Amino acid sequence: MALPRALQGIRVVDFTWVRAGPWATRWLGALGAQVIKVEWPEAERGRQSGGNTTPRDVERGLNTSGNFNDTNANKLSITLNVRSPRGMDLIRRLISVSDAVIENFSSRVLTSWGLGYEELRKLRPDIVYVSMSGFGHTGRHHHYKTFGPVAQAVSGLTFLSGLPDKPPAGWGWSYLDDTGGLYGAMGVLTGIYHRNVTGEGQHIDLSQMITGITLNGPAILDHTVNGRPSRREGFPPGNATHWPGAPLLNNYRGPTAAPHNAYRTSPGGYNDWCVIACFSNEEWKRLVPLMGSPDWATATELADLDGRVRHQQALDQGIEAWTSTLDKYELTESCQEAGVRAMPVQSSEDRVEHDPQLRHRDMYLALEHPELGSRKLQNAPFKLAATPAVNHRPSPLIGEHNRQVFEDILGLPHEDLVSGYEDGTFWPVDRARYPYMEEMLK
Amino acid sequence: MTASATGPLSGLRVLELADEKGQFCGKLMADLGADVIKIETPGGDATRTVGPFLDDIPGPNRSLSFWHYNTSKRGVTLDLESGEGHGLFRCLASTADIVLETFKPGYLASLDLGYEPLSATNRKLIMCSLTPFGQSGPWRDYLSSDLLHMAAGGQMASSGYDDSDVPNAPPIAPGGGNAWHTGAHYAYVAIMAALVHRTATGEGQYIDASVHDACALSTESAVASYIYRDEVVIRQTGRHHSASPTPRAQYRAKDGKYVNALTGGGRLDPASVRRLAEWFDSHGLAGDLMNERYQDPDVIKANAHHIVEEVIANFIANRTADEVYHEAQERDYPWGAVRAPDELLSDGHLEDREFWTEVAHPELGRTFVYPGSGAIFNRSPWRISRRAPLVGEHNDEIFGEELGLSCEELARLSDSGVI
Repeated sequence: MALPRALQGIRVVDFTWVRAGPWATRWLGALGAQVIKVEWPEAERGRQSGGNTTPRDVERGLNTSGNFNDTNANKLSITLNVRSPRGMDLIRRLISVSDAVIENFSSRVLTSWGLGYEELRKLRPDIVYVSMSGFGHTGRHHHYKTFGPVAQAVSGLTFLSGLPDKPPAGWGWSYLDDTGGLYGAMGVLTGIYHRNVTGEGQHIDLSQMITGITLNGPAILDHTVNGRPSRREGFPPGNATHWPGAPLLNNYRGPTAAPHNAYRTSPGGYNDWCVIACFSNEEWKRLVPLMGSPDWATATELADLDGRVRHQQALDQGIEAWTSTLDKYELTESCQEAGVRAMPVQSSEDRVEHDPQLRHRDMYLALEHPELGSRKLQNAPFKLAATPAVNHRPSPLIGEHNRQVFEDILGLPHEDLVSGYEDGTFWPVDRARYPYMEEMLK
Repeated sequence: MTASATGPLSGLRVLELADEKGQFCGKLMADLGADVIKIETPGGDATRTVGPFLDDIPGPNRSLSFWHYNTSKRGVTLDLESGEGHGLFRCLASTADIVLETFKPGYLASLDLGYEPLSATNRKLIMCSLTPFGQSGPWRDYLSSDLLHMAAGGQMASSGYDDSDVPNAPPIAPGGGNAWHTGAHYAYVAIMAALVHRTATGEGQYIDASVHDACALSTESAVASYIYRDEVVIRQTGRHHSASPTPRAQYRAKDGKYVNALTGGGRLDPASVRRLAEWFDSHGLAGDLMNERYQDPDVIKANAHHIVEEVIANFIANRTADEVYHEAQERDYPWGAVRAPDELLSDGHLEDREFWTEVAHPELGRTFVYPGSGAIFNRSPWRISRRAPLVGEHNDEIFGEELGLSCEELARLSDSGVI
């Protein structure tokens, strides 16, 4: 028997696009909410953006992006021209029978459509409305626009990543789309919980950039309490907790430790690296015999943290001379078995193909997609014992669920669905329809 | 919203037995209104030894890291392995809504404090175990750290430098402790889903959350690039990983700070080049960009390197990062200054949103500015209600006033190391 779903009976009207918003609703869908993605092919961002992830043997199109498939699993899709009176009437009807509305447009878009929070409340008094804009809906820069990397730069996150006296390395992807997306899901869930308890809905006005600032707490407090700026000698210290020669200060990652770095492994390929960290003298003492107790490592000045920090460069050289002879997984296993903190640097291929833990946790199970075939999707990183989150459907084809949503949920007669395709309410009249749309209209 | 409005999670009681992995999840719940009781080992948890420290002097009540991650919580100390400590915890858990714990898998169960015994007398209890690798699997008992998770989760494989900026650079683990943030965000999602389910059924449940699983999910399209195109991404300075090299995004400004300006590739068209030219020209820095020939897309394409690497780079090199950032945004270019965290204190937008929060430290007779919340809830505020607890600060309040222990009993438990 299938287990119940945590968000059973919750309906979400999803105006999100590109990445951050869709990442939010993907998880609501996995948790059992009915997520209805509202789309329009002429103003579509997400089905072909984010780099080319269409398989080489498949034609690029609105229904063939791999990244879209992973980011939009567990949702229904409707196409609706909300700028037409008929489309606006239908979306208002849909909102009136929904629990939450979520969008990640620029700050004034939904209000300009006549769907600001006050209007939404008239349609559904206890609606939970989550807006996910770059800078939020209030404040002097509410109209500023962001992508993940820009939000990361402005929030201070980018600055904390890199080597001293070099340009910031920053984050190699839109971390604030992943994380900003989670805040969208967190907002909907928190709002729904609060509504269930109090009967009241609300507007949750998220700012992607500002969520990033809250992740820099210790660096900010070092300034507001101690007056210390982050723009200083030897900072940020790369993978180390302390840059050799710089004053001994905390780096905001955790405790000061040495060794604490990335080291090359065999056979020396692009991602043949491991990391090793010793947070105590005991952990260091366990690492030394693993390396064969070479003379440099048994030197008494390395027995305590101060000495290891002071001689960090020699320490790192000695460790890398050892690691570069070993495979990163073998090294990880022998270190961990001896109680030494070590992990392989894992590429995407490593995670999907070689990581025994992610395999054990069923992180990549396949689902059949009509255009992309059977493909692995990323699963939830938590196991709810009574109401597990599961990927239960691949991403929707564009407009795939118009009949289900407009006829079954809103009670539209079939002939009205047909006429809506003729007058441009459900699909642009001059745009070729997909075969599944013709099928729907029979 | 009135000043007395309570947060969306008010009325919930959370018992937090969490180190660096889970304290941020507890902070989220506490700042959102839950009554979070942090239970530490007698003397205080190891997270109190993490710097930076007030005036750079270590001490259990002086860790700024602890201060940040434990706002709005109350704190008690308790030895779970002692008979009396065990009993007191059972007593607290019998009325709690949520237990959040980050011990090694199996530890609480070995003390007979796992989900089964605790929920036997409290069926609404939600218990979330947030551990490095989850409760089962070949890596279950492996040791971890923020750096280790950044390596195994794929963050490092995506972050680093162009060879032209730093030859032979290692993969770089982004700073700030974000492996823990990532695990905590997903744990929060799982706990909230369980709470919503509970409002419908009255039933709690157990949650097994993994930091490694969470990190492995959080590299945007890297996994899709591999699954759909067999491509493994390369690392690039200050911008997205990619299957093949893309134009740079960071430019050095006059003040030595950097600007993230996504101008490369196909983003330049005649209209945007004209707007750039007019903006640059107002500072006498348009170079040849005002020339009519740039109204031809083919000319733009043929001269993309000149436009990006010479004209734009030169403009930014002659202005400060903040000037470029705001002037660009006012012209609808989504550019941003790479700001150090402390440089945000003077940002007027954050002031408008009342982001910065004054937090009183009565024991010091001082008040400090803390970062506030990422969203404005218009009916139930998300805000810091108090500073982090001192070691055992609420022992009397919780064990005495709430559980009814006498002063004598409290003194005895303190002397014997139970609290």
